[in-house]
Amino acid sequence: MEKIDTSIQKRKKLATGKSANMKKTTVRHTERFALFLVLPAHFMLFFIVVFPLISSIYLSLTTWAPMTGGGVKWYSAYKFWGGLTNYWNIIRDVDFLKSLLRTLIIVGVVVPIEFFVGLGLAFLFLDNFPGKKIYHSILLTPMMIVPAVVGFIFYMLFQSSGPINALLSGVLFRNVNIAWLQGKFSALISIMVADIWEWTPLMFLILLSGLMALPQDQINAAIVLGASRYQRFKRIIFPLMKPVMIIALIIRGLEAVKIFDVVWLMTSGGPGTSTETISVYMYRQGFKYLNWSWVTACGLIVLILVIIISIYALRPIRREEEKAA
Amino acid sequence: MAHIRLENLVKRFGKQTAVDSLSLEIKDKEFIALLGPSGCGKTTIMNMISGLLQPDSGKIYFDGIEVNDVPPGKRGVGFMFQNYAVFTHMTVYENISFGLEVQKIDRADIDRHVREVTKLLQIKHLLSMKASKLSINDMQKVALARSMITQPRIFLLDEPLSNLDAALRSIMRAELKRIQQELGQTTVYVTHDQVEAMSLANRIAVMNYAVLQQYDTPHNVYNFPKNLFVANFLGSPTINFFDGYYRNGEFRLKGFNKGRFILSRKNKAALESELTHEKIMLGIRPEHLKLKDTKTDMGEGLNAKVISYEPLGSKVIVYLHPDAEPNIIIKSSMEKGYKPRVGDLKYLEFTENHLYIFNKETTNLVKRFTL
Amino acid sequence: MVQKLYVRILKYALIVILALISFFPVYWTITMAFKPFAEWTSATGKIFWAPNHLTLKNFKDVFPSTTGAFFSPIPESALPPLIHSFVIVVVATIIAMVVGVLAAYGVSRYKKGGQLPFFLLQLRMFPPIAVIIPIMIMWAFLRMIDTWYGMVIIYATVTLPFSTWLMKTFYDDIPRELSEAAVVDGYTDFEAFKKVVLPLAKGGIASTALFVFILNWSDFLIAYIITDKDWATIPVHINKLQTALVGQLYGPKAALALIALIPPVVFGILIQKYLVRGLTFGAIKK
Repeated sequence: MEKIDTSIQKRKKLATGKSANMKKTTVRHTERFALFLVLPAHFMLFFIVVFPLISSIYLSLTTWAPMTGGGVKWYSAYKFWGGLTNYWNIIRDVDFLKSLLRTLIIVGVVVPIEFFVGLGLAFLFLDNFPGKKIYHSILLTPMMIVPAVVGFIFYMLFQSSGPINALLSGVLFRNVNIAWLQGKFSALISIMVADIWEWTPLMFLILLSGLMALPQDQINAAIVLGASRYQRFKRIIFPLMKPVMIIALIIRGLEAVKIFDVVWLMTSGGPGTSTETISVYMYRQGFKYLNWSWVTACGLIVLILVIIISIYALRPIRREEEKAA
Repeated sequence: MAHIRLENLVKRFGKQTAVDSLSLEIKDKEFIALLGPSGCGKTTIMNMISGLLQPDSGKIYFDGIEVNDVPPGKRGVGFMFQNYAVFTHMTVYENISFGLEVQKIDRADIDRHVREVTKLLQIKHLLSMKASKLSINDMQKVALARSMITQPRIFLLDEPLSNLDAALRSIMRAELKRIQQELGQTTVYVTHDQVEAMSLANRIAVMNYAVLQQYDTPHNVYNFPKNLFVANFLGSPTINFFDGYYRNGEFRLKGFNKGRFILSRKNKAALESELTHEKIMLGIRPEHLKLKDTKTDMGEGLNAKVISYEPLGSKVIVYLHPDAEPNIIIKSSMEKGYKPRVGDLKYLEFTENHLYIFNKETTNLVKRFTL
Repeated sequence: MVQKLYVRILKYALIVILALISFFPVYWTITMAFKPFAEWTSATGKIFWAPNHLTLKNFKDVFPSTTGAFFSPIPESALPPLIHSFVIVVVATIIAMVVGVLAAYGVSRYKKGGQLPFFLLQLRMFPPIAVIIPIMIMWAFLRMIDTWYGMVIIYATVTLPFSTWLMKTFYDDIPRELSEAAVVDGYTDFEAFKKVVLPLAKGGIASTALFVFILNWSDFLIAYIITDKDWATIPVHINKLQTALVGQLYGPKAALALIALIPPVVFGILIQKYLVRGLTFGAIKK
């Protein structure tokens, strides 16, 4: 208490003296305080984010790799300046393109399924039913499991003698003995299943909050005006849900492109390269072949691609928002 | 024809009863007000009439036909919500045309109706504006237009004016009344503002926490309140209540040391047969409680000290308390220009034929004396 | 609105089915963790894969003692990685929280650094492998590879955006007037922050800390690249067991998976309410 009293007295003294100056010092004090708050964060982000980002770009413009030229150190990488050679080569590289395609296929299958199942679940959770909270927790569990562990578990589930085959045998009344992780196509499916299992809860969670935040009043108004369920969905619920849906799709989409943990733990990209996603491809290039500059260039290409796709995907929505404004 | 009959409606939310066995009849083309404090179940009743909520028990009849199982969209009801609930992502035009669009009416017809309604409410200039960008006052008109356009035979309005500025409120009050008379819908109007209810309604249903207290014309509800609650709810400033007991033509009122009020012979006889208990609550409205500088001949010791006074233009409200009891506040409404001095002692004059006597335990009205 | 009874039953059935699917892998892992060797691949185990004989041997196998007192098929104990994970994750979380709690206040109250969200979004679009390489080079140069502090710095930085953004939403929920009133009463800005705002934000701080913990605990890629023998974390250790030798040891693997997944699942359920905020960078608040 005493500490504060003295500061009040000090301020009162200042006030009776030069009031203009006092105002200036409090404002400056606040400025300094605000700066002090944010500085550590900026510091960390600069050194461990901005700096690597810039070095990535720098590296990508060289053709340096740690083993070439007899172990040249990284700070002399500029000696291997290549300009855009990496980029030019990458976009014509068959392995790169194939893994890119694989990744896009996976994303193209997995994200919509997660979205629609999550949306359906969200609608189901609008009503009340016994044990709702417990089911809510259970349904959220998959996404809270460490992705590497998910891969780990699903590796075991998809074994030839494992429970997935046992379940299928039981349901289809015949002996199912697929070697999931050994087949090119089936391995891809196993990975997709694991991803869908893990991330549908996320879509469910996001879409549910969106649905619950809908203005019930407007929906009621539509009901009384005679709108059928379909009309209500099409003209009220869907338009109002659009922002949330977009956020869900973007967040999940961006993460899905980078899929690594599950793939690595289940198949390591195999058999062969049939489940090699873009991240796995880059890992292989970076740590098996030590093609570091190549990999950083890959990363940037993927980044540009993702930006282009998201802009392209968001454009129709942007246009509609402007039209209504 | 749009006659509404509610029969023993009950609605509970968990352990709380929101509506307790409500029975009400609304005549065709009648404009009734559901009046009561916030949270007393008025909106719940509206939701049940419209079909948004199902009653736990009881029936609803429109024109003698039971509509409990009729879905809300098909009851021919127009609803105006308290927060207007305009469709924020649509334009004004789309908002208003919505009710007709869902009925799949011809484009050209819809257009015609929209223009008619917007002309009636003078919002034609707003048609292409996005609904979320409207001012509160315009939003209210759009909400009104939206519910009117389907020409419902029954109109439900949930506190439609409570969000408006005072100036617009009185204008819209008159507008609403005019529209209702022109279009002739049976209207149920929810409000907690008794002035609104009194000025707009043919009949007022006074509600107190799930129970209907009284259902009558504004005049009767004001002048012949059935119980303490109704007497207190209507009237501004609120009625004065005096705790006391009655014996043999005399009222002894709490707070007035040895003060008593003597009843006239005629009224004493009238009261004799009906008053069984001695403990009563005496009610008198401020406009019937006058202040005199000299002793009156209707009683003894009925005097009070002036605390403060409010000149309100057309009248002056004076606040007093009995000499010995500073916690009992008495209100008197005097003519304009009256200027008492704070601390002065005044004598209270009750206008006998505007006296209300309430049974203290049941809170019901026992007697109201008339000329 | 009243729906027909059979529709409601159908909906409920759907939810139950999906809940079963959600839970099944976890359930299987739990049962497998307690099954003796003989029952691993018998595909029997009677009713729903429940073990016939409960055993704790799998758990023991996961932590083989170094003195070789008893034989375990698993060459390496999971104890060191567990400790590593805890140490690294807890320290990183603390750092991320301290910096984030401060920075978020700056953003929320003083609008400093509002461009962060955009920046973060760009960052999420970048494949982590490409970014890790320069960091790895730097770390190798600074001799920080395979050290706990090397890992801690990376983890703290990677989760800093989350801690900042989540805390910002919690600060936004606290009315400005409270700290302003404190300042008028003579407190300095910092005192107002420490004595008025922080106590009110306690719940938010706890939830954010748990969220950051989950994020850090779940990382695999960074740990895989930066650590080697000395400071391998649990996910890295798990990956090591995917060899031909050990890959078929379902029992111990399940036991290990169970151990690894418990902290984030428990924490996740505790902070259910705030998960949406965290995962959408505060874009959506329930």
